[in-house]
Order: sequence, then structure tokens, then C-alpha cells
Amino acid sequence: MTIQFKPDETFRDDFSYANSDAAVLRFPFPFPEDAYMYSVNIEPHVPGGPSPAFDNPFDVDEHYVAECRERAKVLEQDPSRCKVLPHMMAAEWDTLELIMESFATSYPEHFTLTREGTAWTWENRPLGIRDSFIFGDASTLPLPPFEYITRQAQGDFTLQDQRDDNLFIDGGMVTTQADWSLDFDVGMSFHQWHGPVPLAHQKGVFDRALKFLLRLQYGAPVRRLNWTLTVNPRLDTSPENYPQWGPDRTTLTPENIAGTLHLRVELQSLFRLPRSNAILFGIRCYLCSIEDLARVEIWGKRLHRVLRDLHPEIADYKGTTRYRDMAVAWLSRFDDGAELPVGTAPRQTSLPPKR
Amino acid sequence: MLISDIKSRPVYERLSVDASGRRHLVLSDAPRPLADVIDGAEAAQAPLAYWYVASTSAVDGKPSAAPDAAGEASNYAPHETRAFRAIPHVMDRLSHRLARESVGLRLYVIGEEGFVWDVVRLAREAGMEESECRTAHAGSLRRKVFCVHCKTITHNVTTSLATCEGCGASLVVRDHFSRGLSAFMGVQADAEVPGELPPVEEMFP
Repeated sequence: MTIQFKPDETFRDDFSYANSDAAVLRFPFPFPEDAYMYSVNIEPHVPGGPSPAFDNPFDVDEHYVAECRERAKVLEQDPSRCKVLPHMMAAEWDTLELIMESFATSYPEHFTLTREGTAWTWENRPLGIRDSFIFGDASTLPLPPFEYITRQAQGDFTLQDQRDDNLFIDGGMVTTQADWSLDFDVGMSFHQWHGPVPLAHQKGVFDRALKFLLRLQYGAPVRRLNWTLTVNPRLDTSPENYPQWGPDRTTLTPENIAGTLHLRVELQSLFRLPRSNAILFGIRCYLCSIEDLARVEIWGKRLHRVLRDLHPEIADYKGTTRYRDMAVAWLSRFDDGAELPVGTAPRQTSLPPKR
Repeated sequence: MLISDIKSRPVYERLSVDASGRRHLVLSDAPRPLADVIDGAEAAQAPLAYWYVASTSAVDGKPSAAPDAAGEASNYAPHETRAFRAIPHVMDRLSHRLARESVGLRLYVIGEEGFVWDVVRLAREAGMEESECRTAHAGSLRRKVFCVHCKTITHNVTTSLATCEGCGASLVVRDHFSRGLSAFMGVQADAEVPGELPPVEEMFP
């Protein structure tokens, strides 16, 4: 199946990003129940599930070309968004191999990988790239292997080195993040880089998650969903550029909130890498306006309940304080209080027109 | 909210000599009697050196066997005590020593947070493991603050808000600490509504 890319949509300035109806229906909605609390919601990353976004190791969708262009803009302005410590070179090649093989297998009409021993040729037709190189010889690629391949993928990636029964964030490509800084966190241990998250430490979430991840096996990746809210379809909500995007939070009104406020979902995936024994962490970001989400009946009702009853500390940490009441008020019109089934599937195959 | 139990914040304990060390080096950013700084120095089986910052040009960094730091007589007999003129002076000497060290050295660092983690970083860059460095806090709680917007480090921050020495932003000091930068993260406090600032409080005396 050929994906119809929308190469010219933007995630800044005029924010021309928008989801097709099909993209709304495949959105990885994160709330199976009416209430939300932190948990170790990790499951095997195998094909299938309530959204086609789970069908491949790395999901490519209609926003692929535009997101790669946005990443290039961010890196042009701030190259420190991609940083890998020198001892992680084996993990860089592991990442390149994993993403190239996955893309070529999942989307053969768009990507081709040809391997003859260590002589590889990579074709990325949506981005117009064709490079031949020697696997394992960084001098034969135009960029370091990790940067080279993650510039051609949607979502952020970090590399975790495993030593001393801990994980250390020793590299990453982070341009589409929800308010955390790779440049500040690079080199930190698992609990250190999760330091600012409220409540979850006390619940033992990070202790359990770390124990689980230390045992992560090659060939058995896992995934989880995380979420926040973002004003405008802006991918680069970094702390670095908070002075640029922070003012967006004051621009919401009852009239514009439906099309302007977006649910931001991260499909997080974790892969054990074969040579380095490092872990590749993919953080694939999906954005959908609450207006579009409410066109799916059970999503509109459930989002209303989750936001209305959200723990105040989580609401504050996610930066929703200024506008949460307004969002709840707008969503309340869809919620008749009916009991909803557990699960995240949309349970409809088409969308009603926008209101 | 600012002083929370955020997990990147280092936790410190009183220093004690690690019996597995073959050489011990104790560093302090102020003159302190060795007995106040570390337990077990007297019983140490291996050579122990005590280097401290005297903050005066009257000292010269040369080794002296006794008396102890701060001029107090002591029963302890470290192999050497050295007094340094300032923090850069002792850091320079430390780099020189670490470059010539081999396996078995144990470092003990006490002082303000910025000093402690600058020493640990130097040790790590010299190939030492974190488990070979013990750390303790003493003195002011003032912080180094890394501006996440312009990457400037502002020193000696004692308040909940600090003006970035690089870009001038009013930074709120997040309780998120980087051992690599020896600094806390600073984020512009009024980014959403320019000029809308919380009251400034003395937080880190």
C-alpha cells in the first residue's frame, strides 16, 4: 500500500499540519479506561492491536516527509539535539540496521535495503535518498550512522547503555519532545533522567520498569503509550525553545480550543540491540486535535472524563493548568455519562463531518 | 515544590574511608579538620592525602605532614596535607595527579555541590568509576544553574529565581540535577506570559 505523503505540512508558524480521516481513525488513543494514573503499562511490541499504528516495528504514516523536514529544521538551529557518547558506536550501527531492515520489510514500495556482505545500498524514495556504504565504516556515510538513519525516521530515539545493573541515556536524537532536554540528561542513569516525573517514583513505577528493561531480550521488543496535551500541532516542545512555544498556552479561547489543543501521544518502543547490548528507545509522537478526536464517539466521552478527573499533580506536570477547565468544558457536550467499554479501539469505521 | 524529593538530586552521607583503597585522597573546598570530614582516617591502612582550599595566597600547595588543616593539632597522621589557594588551584593539581594514577585510588570530596561534582567529573574523565568516589555536602546550598535555553551556567544561585548571566532570562531553578554539568536546570519562569513572575524566595542559603 502506498502512503500518500503530505510533504508541505508544517509544525510551526502557520501550523498547516492536519490529519486525514483515516489518520484520525488510526490514532493510538491512550485511554482504555475513564481514569488515568501512572503505571508500568508495557506490552510486547508485536503486530496488531487496537490501532494500525502498532502493525510495524516503526510506524510510517502520511506525515513522514513533513516530520523529517521539521527535524532537519530543528537540527539546523540546534545540533545538540542529536548527541551520542563516543562509546556507543556499536549501538549506532545496530540502530541503523534495525531501522533500515524494518522500513524495507514493512514498506517495500518506499524503502529498499540491498546487502552484499558489508556493502549495503539504502534507498529511501520518499526523501529521495540513495546511498551505498560499508556497514561498520562510518567514513562511508555522509553522517554518523545514528544521526543518518534517525533523520529519516519519525519520532525521537534514545540509546541506553546497560552497565552496573542500570541503564544510562548515552545518546539520542530528540527534536519532537514533550519538554525534556537530551543535552541536559545525556549520561544520566534511569532514575536520574526520570527525576522530575511526579508520583511515579513513590509508586515504585521506575523501580519495576528498570528491572523489567534490564531483562529485555533481543527479538522481543516492548511498547507503551504516554501522553500529554500540546497547544497547536507543534512537534518541537523542547525546554530549549520554551520561550518560543510557552506563549501558545495563553492563546486558547472557548472558540478556538477545539482545533488548537492537541492530544499528544507517544508510542514508546524498546528494542534490545544485538551487538552493543544497548536498548533503543523509540518515542513516536502522534498529534490529534480534540475536535478530531471527538468525532470518534467513545474517544470524546473518555477524554472528557480523563481530563476532568486528572490528578492535580499530573495535570500540573503536563503543563495543562492554564487551560484544562476550558478543554473539559468544551468536551463535556459530548459526554452523556453512558458506560464505555474498556479498550481504545474507535469502534467506528468513518467519521462524521466536523462540527 | 522546588525542594522536592526529585531523584536526580544527589543524596549525601558522611564520608568514611573505603578499606579496599590502596591510596586515599580527601578533597575539601574549605579548611576543615580532617576528623570532621571523614571517619576512619586514623585507621586507614593505605597512604592518605588531605587537600583543602584555604582561599588565601599565603599558602603554596606544598605537602606538609602536620599539623592538620585549620591549624588544629590532631592525632591523625595523614601522609600529607596540602593547602591550596583557590578551587582552580586544587583542580589543576588534581588533574595532574589523576593523569599519573593507577587502579586503587579512592577519592573523597566534601564541599559545595558545584565543587563536589566538578571533582567527580574530573575523576570520571580520568577513568575512575563512580563507586571509587565518595561525596559529602558541606557549606552553602547555593547552586550552579544551567540555562536550558542558552547553555550558560550561572554560579552562586541562592534564590528560587535567578537571572541568567548569558541571555538574561529569569530562570526558575528546577530540582533536576546533572552530575555531568554539576548544575541544576534553569528554565525561563515567565515564558508563557512575559513579566509574570513568582515572588523571589531565598531557597539555597
